[in-house]
Amino acid sequence: MAEMRITGGCQCGAVRYALHAALEDPHICHCRMCQKAFGSFFAPLGSVPLARFEVTRGTIATFLSSDPTERGFCRDCGTPLTFHHVGNAHISVALGSLDDPASARPGRQYGLEARMPWFAALPVLAGETTTEEEMGGFAARIASTSHQHPDHDTAWWPPEAGR
Amino acid sequence: MTGGPHSGGCQCGAVRFRAERLGRASVCHCRMCQKAFGAFYGPLVTGHGVTWTRGALKRFASSNLVRRGFCGDCGTPLTYEHDGGIELAIGAFDDPSAAAPTLQVNPRERQPFTDGIPGLPMRAPGSEPRQEDFRNRVISHQHPDHDTEAWPPGGLI
Repeated sequence: MAEMRITGGCQCGAVRYALHAALEDPHICHCRMCQKAFGSFFAPLGSVPLARFEVTRGTIATFLSSDPTERGFCRDCGTPLTFHHVGNAHISVALGSLDDPASARPGRQYGLEARMPWFAALPVLAGETTTEEEMGGFAARIASTSHQHPDHDTAWWPPEAGR
Repeated sequence: MTGGPHSGGCQCGAVRFRAERLGRASVCHCRMCQKAFGAFYGPLVTGHGVTWTRGALKRFASSNLVRRGFCGDCGTPLTYEHDGGIELAIGAFDDPSAAAPTLQVNPRERQPFTDGIPGLPMRAPGSEPRQEDFRNRVISHQHPDHDTEAWPPGGLI
């Protein structure tokens, strides 16, 4: 049986990683520190043993958000990538940075003290308006000029290097 | 959106901003917002009268039409900028609750489990001693949720 390999990386593609184990405890954390680090309402995280986490391209920049916690990101595009308790044998990755986030369904929510008061209402918000319908060809022009790394490993980076 | 101005910034505090007024707040499910935020969607609110009160953004041109700003020191995603204006990451505000989203953008791209997230099982406070112990040991280096006179705060422990 082939070794497990789950891939992901940042938006621009400067940092790519591979997980050689199944994700443990995929979850979301609402705590204020996770909110701030992700610029969002929560951080979606899942962990693997540190020895099963491999950076396959580039270098992860880190910010020590508290004494026990190091948060990794791409210094070129900012994508939040990792969460690691210093000294812990596990490291967590940002689930949205996976090439296939749909495979990482979260099972629990943590940090409820900071959960946004309107959080439960998000799924029922109006959702008919899309970028395409609202802005004509804007979405198509974005798609055709995207500088986002594709959702799979690539042989080289940046893309221009292969031309 | 009432009130204002609304202040915010990155996790480490190197970049701070102020918006005189906020417009539409939304979550965008497109794959580019997912990737930029390392999350399941991009939570964004239109900013009017936006000024940068400390530091400077780094930007990545995620396409020819859009630049995304972030803090180069701690990575916090901060902006989505296009010719028509600027949107700010809601979680970066000092009071994110003031920008309740009213719309889901690109809902067809949402992850299959996103709608179920608010109903996920929750951990009762105090039910996991190991987590409580961790929390008690945390000495945060996060910038507080209000403007400050100086940055960085003198002498991190």
